[in-house]
Amino acid sequence: MIGYLVAIATLVGIRALLTLGLNVQWGLTGLVNLGVVAFFAIGAYTSGLLAVSGVALPLAWTAALVASGVAGAALALAALRLREDYLAIVTLGFGEVLRLFLLNEAWLTRGANGITGIPRPLHAWFPAHYDLFYLGLVGLAVGTVYLLLERVSISPFGRVLRAIREDETVAAVAGKAVVRFKVQAFVIGAVVAGLAGVFFGHYLAYVEPNMFLPQETLFVWLALILGGSGNNRGAIVGAVLLLGLLEGSRFAKDLIPFLTGVRLAAAQQMLVGVLLVVLMIRRPEGLLPER
Amino acid sequence: MTNAAQYLFNGLVTGGILALPAVAFSVLWKLLRFPNFAVGAYLTIGAFAALAVNHGLGRGIEWAWLCALAVTGTVAWAVDRVVFHPMRDRRPFALAIASIGVTFFLENTVRFIWGNDYRSYDVPVTRALVWQGLRIGREQLMILGVTVLLVVLVQAFLGWTRLGVAMRATANNPLLARVKGLPTERIVGVATLGGGALAGGAGVFLGLDTTIDPLLGSGLIIAVFAAAILGGIGSAPGALLGALIVGVMEETSTLVIPPTYKSAVGFAIILAVLLVRPQGLAGGRP
Amino acid sequence: MGDEVGRLFQLEDAMSELTRRNLLKTAAAAGLIVGAPAVGRAQSKEPIAIGTLCPLTGAGGAYGPDMQKAIVAVVERINKGGGIQGRPIQLFHEDSQTSPEAAVRAARKLFDVNRVIAIMSTWASAVTLAVKPLAVEAKVFYFSVSGADAVTEGNHGGYIARTQPNTKLQGQVYAKWVLSRKEYKRVAYMALQTPFALPFGDNFMGTLKSGGVSITDNLIYEDKKPSYRSEITRVLATNPDLIMLEGYAPDSVVIAKELYRLSYKGAILGPAFSINAKFIEGAGAEVAEGIWAIDPAPSFDAPAYKQFAAAVPQADKNPYAPQSWDHVTLVGLALAAGRGEASGTAIKDNLRAVSNPPGTVVTSYEDGAKLLREGKKINYEGASGSCDFDAQGDILSRPFGVYQVRKGKIEQVSIVNP
Repeated sequence: MIGYLVAIATLVGIRALLTLGLNVQWGLTGLVNLGVVAFFAIGAYTSGLLAVSGVALPLAWTAALVASGVAGAALALAALRLREDYLAIVTLGFGEVLRLFLLNEAWLTRGANGITGIPRPLHAWFPAHYDLFYLGLVGLAVGTVYLLLERVSISPFGRVLRAIREDETVAAVAGKAVVRFKVQAFVIGAVVAGLAGVFFGHYLAYVEPNMFLPQETLFVWLALILGGSGNNRGAIVGAVLLLGLLEGSRFAKDLIPFLTGVRLAAAQQMLVGVLLVVLMIRRPEGLLPER
Repeated sequence: MTNAAQYLFNGLVTGGILALPAVAFSVLWKLLRFPNFAVGAYLTIGAFAALAVNHGLGRGIEWAWLCALAVTGTVAWAVDRVVFHPMRDRRPFALAIASIGVTFFLENTVRFIWGNDYRSYDVPVTRALVWQGLRIGREQLMILGVTVLLVVLVQAFLGWTRLGVAMRATANNPLLARVKGLPTERIVGVATLGGGALAGGAGVFLGLDTTIDPLLGSGLIIAVFAAAILGGIGSAPGALLGALIVGVMEETSTLVIPPTYKSAVGFAIILAVLLVRPQGLAGGRP
Repeated sequence: MGDEVGRLFQLEDAMSELTRRNLLKTAAAAGLIVGAPAVGRAQSKEPIAIGTLCPLTGAGGAYGPDMQKAIVAVVERINKGGGIQGRPIQLFHEDSQTSPEAAVRAARKLFDVNRVIAIMSTWASAVTLAVKPLAVEAKVFYFSVSGADAVTEGNHGGYIARTQPNTKLQGQVYAKWVLSRKEYKRVAYMALQTPFALPFGDNFMGTLKSGGVSITDNLIYEDKKPSYRSEITRVLATNPDLIMLEGYAPDSVVIAKELYRLSYKGAILGPAFSINAKFIEGAGAEVAEGIWAIDPAPSFDAPAYKQFAAAVPQADKNPYAPQSWDHVTLVGLALAAGRGEASGTAIKDNLRAVSNPPGTVVTSYEDGAKLLREGKKINYEGASGSCDFDAQGDILSRPFGVYQVRKGKIEQVSIVNP
């Protein structure tokens, strides 16, 4: 039982990072990023590819974060001249094109086979209970990122972001270089998502392109909406609730014998759909309101 | 060169299948002010409704198609009443997210009933006609013909009937329309019914051309977006033209880029359009 | 289902009234209560826990449900006969969702909560590769139907086995058959983008080239596209007399129909897991007429296959269900042959003793268990093949069957030896 809970907690932590990153982009600044999964993938693949080629892990991780940030900056600069609903499609497209790139350019990314044998950090130090150590590592990352983002949130920079979210025109009139701030916010979110990817890749010791489907982005959004966007604590809570929902229904099915196989899986997903709709109608601000 | 002409024709056919959902999506976006992702699910529902009639009741594909129109239109109307109606005053983003939830729900309802297996209609496969070296499939010609006819009907409806004109008025200025006493809710209901029906009919065409499974619609949704944006949000002829162009570009792209990147073409089109001429070809703006 | 929805609205109200801490506490408590292993079931003969991780949804969703049914059918028979050394098998089912991350969560639950000693029938190579290190670490025996080479590579201590031949071998065998048919001199390769498209293709085309056949086109296509007309137009323009179509059944149906429409007069060859009865149903007898298929499956006269088809008739068209049937039968026989505690290690230690020659050939669990009780050595020949494994867990090389669609039915024409 413990092993299972540790594994779930680790995945919750990784999802929490993704949600925190999206919170900076959407919750704080009002940017619609439907390509969260792309930065998740960039982080996982960059670190995985370098690590498997023998590069020292701290270097591989730094490279992964830089790659995510650069990609975020490039995408933001290209797309941020557009309006809310258009930005969504462009970021979605980026996510899909990146996945196709990972799938097709096998000479670089190992294609559909994926990268196996990604080394796990400090594995030799913890022959027993390695999973607990890894959970600790992820927990440390989540805690650090949370504290940093809280600082950002209450800083003057954060206030500008919120002003931009509320009314861009006013912020521009007030002399703020709106595009520059938006790009910075986007990059911060992208780097955090990349960090999540790094932990993901090293945890599973394996990455392949179909782990990074658009549906993953949707789940991050669901977590953020559930927990309360605009609120970092809400982001973490949302990640917990989301995995609780996904895993809870796994146990629920052991109690509902007449629903099996495909039916059960479909019912699970129908539930997600209903939840999303109900949330948007009844409580779009999520569980924890913004302070 | 015959080869180029063949690719062009292939593209027109692909575009023809995209056209109906693109028109529905585009017109509804203008009217309801948000991109309704559920159009993808309507494609799937239409295909399966026709399947039920074709396999279950043993009817021909024409009847099945008509039933698909009716069923999908009704489902779309019901979704609007239950989900979008309580959210009329919300921001577009919330509505878009809700429509994603609707897609999840509808797609998995189909999966719940029919499972994951792929199926085909009971329709004989015929050899393509050959004309001037060009291979033209009979079904493809029919699909193209019906599509153009429907788009013409839609445009006629919007341009010449009272309800259609009222719809355009509501789309252009909903507040004023309400003040002037137009029955906005009824207008939205009819539009949703019609849009859903169009998407359902296209789903049947897609099912004829490929195979039918719960993921049918989701593969098309990006191309539909691209077509609508290219054509200009709110314009039916624009959406048709956009769809044909997207179809042609996707098919001819296999000459220059690996076929595995076909999906990227749609996105590339979107990006190009938004950077160069955001209002699209027909100039509409949501 | 009404229960689920009701629970949903309760959760929704709870969210607005309870504080976050209370909610987390309640959820944790509920999770623990529901997830606690079946401690209360005190009985003299404790059941043996075995897990299934078939693709019930996702890309493999067309295959998973029947694979699971095949396993259930075998276990029911075993339990009816008194179980393994008197102990019944208890199955725990999870859905891999054809997603590595979901599969890892599911596998963790099977290992840590349900404490299964064997896990079977993951389908997608990506899923198998993701779960593999977990199984090896937990010393759980792992059977899969995945074909990617990496599945059995590396140091896994013998805890992995698979009943699907690896792609390198398959590519060579298909090419060998094509070469034996001297009439095909221009071959085009069309493959769906999957982990085996490249390794299979490379071996297939490489073997053909050294045999003097020219490869006119090599095209990989994407999944779930509304049309493949342009891909096909491109391939047809190179004038092949045989098209090797390496895809899954749904896209193969679409491509075959389009080839027919465009009056392609050459031959088509595909893997038998795609060119099957369901393919004929989807494409129609006229379109499917004359299409060739090759497969490592045995002839459908094999006794174990007949039992499988009788027990799980709806899975008859599923190319992986016979493998799942064999997975659980082999696990049962390996455990029956062992003397000590039932565990993944016991399965690993005894697998080849019951699956490989020498020994009396048996084709069902009942027959095998009976002989094992008498102290005899057995050799299980299964529904999916002779089920002989090498040290790395791959099935040993064995004949492939060549089939052709004739008048709406698949008929075996010949055999190719690798």
